[in-house]
Amino acid sequence: MPTPPPFDPELAAVLAVLRDEIPSRLTPDMIPDLRRRRAAQAFGPDDDLTLDGAYTETGHHAPGHDGADVPLLLWRPTGTTAPVGTLYWIHGGGMIMGTHRGAEIPALLQTAHELGLALVSVDYRLAPEHPHPAPVEDCYAGLTWAAKHADDLGLDPRRLVVGGASAGGGLAAATALLARDRGGPDLLGQLLVCPMLDDRNDSVSARQMAGTGVWDKVANATGWGALLGEAAGGPDVPPYAAPARAQDLSGLPPAFLDVGSAETFRDEVVDYASRIWKAGGSAELHVWPGGFHGFDSMAPQAALSRSAAAQRLPWLRRIIGV
Amino acid sequence: MRELLGRISALDPEAGAAVKVIAYFDELAGTGLEPVVRGAAVLTGVPAGFVGPGRDPALRVAPDGSVERGAHGPDPSWCSVRAGGGVLWLELAEEPGPVEAMVLERAAAAVRARMERTAPMAGGRAALAEALVDPGLPEEQRARAARRFGIVPGSPTRAVALHGGGIRVVAAAEDPGGERAGVGPAVEALGLPSSWEDARRALRFTARGTGTDPGPRVVFAEDLGGLLLLADTVRPGDPPVPDVAALERVARDAAPLLAALEAVASSPSLRAAAARAGVHHSTLQESVGRAERLLGWPVREVTGRLRLQVALVLRRLHHHP
Repeated sequence: MPTPPPFDPELAAVLAVLRDEIPSRLTPDMIPDLRRRRAAQAFGPDDDLTLDGAYTETGHHAPGHDGADVPLLLWRPTGTTAPVGTLYWIHGGGMIMGTHRGAEIPALLQTAHELGLALVSVDYRLAPEHPHPAPVEDCYAGLTWAAKHADDLGLDPRRLVVGGASAGGGLAAATALLARDRGGPDLLGQLLVCPMLDDRNDSVSARQMAGTGVWDKVANATGWGALLGEAAGGPDVPPYAAPARAQDLSGLPPAFLDVGSAETFRDEVVDYASRIWKAGGSAELHVWPGGFHGFDSMAPQAALSRSAAAQRLPWLRRIIGV
Repeated sequence: MRELLGRISALDPEAGAAVKVIAYFDELAGTGLEPVVRGAAVLTGVPAGFVGPGRDPALRVAPDGSVERGAHGPDPSWCSVRAGGGVLWLELAEEPGPVEAMVLERAAAAVRARMERTAPMAGGRAALAEALVDPGLPEEQRARAARRFGIVPGSPTRAVALHGGGIRVVAAAEDPGGERAGVGPAVEALGLPSSWEDARRALRFTARGTGTDPGPRVVFAEDLGGLLLLADTVRPGDPPVPDVAALERVARDAAPLLAALEAVASSPSLRAAAARAGVHHSTLQESVGRAERLLGWPVREVTGRLRLQVALVLRRLHHHP
């Protein structure tokens, strides 16, 4: 097995403390317990997420591609009645867990607030109960609905950015592919935070990080297996399930990608950015030395995390700022 | 993910939190001061800071991890503890709870570990040289200092004791320079404390190289041979032997003769001594004759010359602590 790159020392200390709570290896039998833990970390209905009144939170439903309801949450700035740009957020959780009112919402609202944006968060259906294409179609249905009802919601339909972290980053990339191939909605950008892009799960980084860090090769196989079943890693996986499978990465909105050097996804993220450039597209890529998967959400105060988080706002400002 | 480190502070300090606080700071002990101070701030939810023993500005970290350098030191009302020669504090005016107390204690231990490992490295090459010659430091620390100093493992080096108190470490073949100095024998890096001991002895054999204090400005310990032993037997306050007292009389009553005697003592012939002193050899001959009468022994014969050499050396040892 190739030697993995070292963890950043400060992050290594965090990892040592969280080791019991977040094992590197996650197997399908652990899914119910993982979901319980994740649900316990999410905000409850009584938690106020208005950023001290700077936002109003409203719940909506978009019709799914198969007739199912897709729940959406919309946070709109209270300070203006003019149409505002929107960050359409897709939560992470390995395709198998997580909700649209997760722990990352306050930080996202902070970012949205800096730029005067609205935030929409989608509650897509989870695998393995709802395999591909349910998750990505839900994400796309929510985006389409938000664009279509932009006037009613006080949103500017020409100023949309899709974003997500981990599995949400992969779904955001896939949603951008769908938007390109189905003729809309038009996106200004795709914010892909340590995105999960490739079901083949066999890059050097995937092999290097086996059994260590966060979300190792086994955990990754659990996530992709839940989404794709037997098809995972095989010849017939569509790009809307695993964006790394897309032959054509041209015509996509500008991308922001970041990833840790010490995580399973490193190589697929670097490769995705590289292929966007080769296809004549725009991508900003950050590889954080010694970062494990999700380091900046798990240890937001660490020096590397602060640096990583600080790169996203300037990119968003260039893409969607006024 | 909300398994955030910050959540630890909300946990029961008697149970899991204690173990985690200890594990976290143990892991951090090898990294740097900033992560340790940040850990204290994040885990307690109040700003934490550290001000070191040197002139480095204070470091202050807020609970969100942001860093401020050049902050003021701690307010006397805050919880603080001495660590690594400096002060580590939490900006907490009330009595610390069990988690705060434990965080402060473990963070202080991590700071101490950090300062012990890096203190000699902090002040650049002078501080590194100081560490290299310090016999009180563990070998591992001196080896680290040697690497930081740029000494190639196995290559011989010398400690150099400068007049006035400075320490230099030079490669064995390197010219130690014109500064008045004692130069220790060539050794491997870990032998530098003993090279330093001899360098300090050798320094006492040096002179200003002027008329009233003639003699070599740079002395190599190796060149002294058995004379080096004299350094341990003659201390500045000791009563001088009669020959040294006689030299002092020459220095007091006929100072220019001292330089003539030094030239005779350190030259193979009177002619060479005259050239060295920069005078005609008949002038030197006359001066030496006068000096011999003042001293009371002939300095141009073999035994008398040795006696002069020893007296000149002893005089320097009496003068130099």
